[in-house]
Amino acid sequence: MPLSKKRIGIVCPYGWDTPGGVQSHVGDLAEYLIRQGHYVSVLAPAIDEESLPDYVTSAGRPISIPYNGAVARVLFGPIAFSRVRQWINNGSFDVLHLHEPAIPSISLLACWAAEGPMVGTFHAAAKRQKVTFAVAPILEPVIEKLTARIAVSEAARETLTEHLETDAIVVPNGIYARRYRDGVVDSRWSGNTLGFIGRFEEKRKGLEVLVAALPKIIAEYPDVHIFIAGPGDSQEVLKEIDSKLHSRFTFLGRISEEEKANFLASIALYIAPNTGGESFGIILAEALAGGASVIASDIPAFESLLGHGKYGTLFESENAVDLSSKVIELLGDENKRRSIAQEGKRYAQEFDWDVVAEKIYDVYEMAMVGGSTVTLSSENRAWNKFLGRQ
Amino acid sequence: MSKYLFAVLLIAITAWYLSFSATRLDRLHHRVETSWANLDGLLQRRAAIAIEIARSEISDPASSLLLTFAAHQAREASIRDRSQAETGLTGALGILIETSTSVDGAIEQDLLRELKELTEKIKMAIAMHVDAVTRTQLVRRKWFIRLFRLAGTAPEPVTYEFEGDVL
Repeated sequence: MPLSKKRIGIVCPYGWDTPGGVQSHVGDLAEYLIRQGHYVSVLAPAIDEESLPDYVTSAGRPISIPYNGAVARVLFGPIAFSRVRQWINNGSFDVLHLHEPAIPSISLLACWAAEGPMVGTFHAAAKRQKVTFAVAPILEPVIEKLTARIAVSEAARETLTEHLETDAIVVPNGIYARRYRDGVVDSRWSGNTLGFIGRFEEKRKGLEVLVAALPKIIAEYPDVHIFIAGPGDSQEVLKEIDSKLHSRFTFLGRISEEEKANFLASIALYIAPNTGGESFGIILAEALAGGASVIASDIPAFESLLGHGKYGTLFESENAVDLSSKVIELLGDENKRRSIAQEGKRYAQEFDWDVVAEKIYDVYEMAMVGGSTVTLSSENRAWNKFLGRQ
Repeated sequence: MSKYLFAVLLIAITAWYLSFSATRLDRLHHRVETSWANLDGLLQRRAAIAIEIARSEISDPASSLLLTFAAHQAREASIRDRSQAETGLTGALGILIETSTSVDGAIEQDLLRELKELTEKIKMAIAMHVDAVTRTQLVRRKWFIRLFRLAGTAPEPVTYEFEGDVL
């Protein structure tokens, strides 16, 4: 693939210590590029600087602020800005890859401070808010410095066109599809079983919708059982659930990648009742790659990921009645279930890192055509000279 | 006294903002040039592949003739005729790919795969170029940029018609 080794700088806006979609995307991408022989440096906020992987440089401790309906661990301020400048200056990168440059964190600072080939990836998909009108004039001169823009889904791309009036190339998030390809059916999890993976305590993951749909499903299929994998306090959640239903639930806690592959191959249906706040739905891509038949809420990210119902079944978000009828229909029709899962598994190969990282690298190459490298922008250079810095 | 101070401050802010806007515009023009260089390079490669395909077993003599002609035109067209020439090549390649359903040889399959990959890249390059151009046009249209002639002598960037057709 690459004819020459490049120096690539990646900026992650969120705290490296807290698990999240953007962080794991950045980590996987950096590791893939390193395996291809490139030099990669990731700049990210971090609390514990000792336990960072070699390729990550800390930009300082993240600050927790409420942003867009969730708590974001981001970083900004003069000290962070000077660290970002230093990192850019010392890195002599061929290309910079900034993640979420439109949120107030170090990606935005890096975009402001640097000049040269820059690629931005937009993850978030949000509805248009009034505040955008106020924010856009500040962001525009910064965002337009990006040589190329990537959106992780159609939904994220639409958000970008609406908010900042700029187009983007859609490159999905990556998964290691191969890890999930060869799961074996485990009899503990097979039968009339429903699977759910994720931080089930979070409201937006929509476990409540599934619980509300359960009585109707039980009336048709008395032996239905739900397996939930993921970190969280199961006792807390069970308190909220009718005690008659408790025997239907099994909490598995965190499971290994291998177990996950078997889990996805075994369960009858994978349910993703998320109510929103999802920009891509990496777990759905993994479920498809594992050969699970998926039922998901019709939020924009899931709808576009599932090809509008081609690779999985969609139900009206937060509508438990609709969910129960979709589950009953598919539990009764094994052939349909299997054929959707087959389609989905084939389609999920598109999300494999081998495909996704190549596409991202193509975008890098296009950004690097000019042959110039990343430097501090002229404004910042002048500033440094004025203050007598190098 | 404070009146003078205020005036000085106002002038300083205006001067800073104008210089900032000029840099911003300069950067945008640079971006347009880069994205065009990228697109141009990819289109040249497409023409080269088209000629190779014309010489391969994929195409019959008639379509070979058509393809070679279109590819040469695309490569030699002046900037004014470029649009039409590229559209012509897109059309010729489209006809060929539609009609050649069964291709056996390894070299031929390689060529077609390369063409497919290149088409994907060209689509991305066009999206990047069009975005750079529209953004530049938008900024150039601002009143103070026109008033102070911040665009200087840089020509207004334009998009070409074929860019819509290739997609």
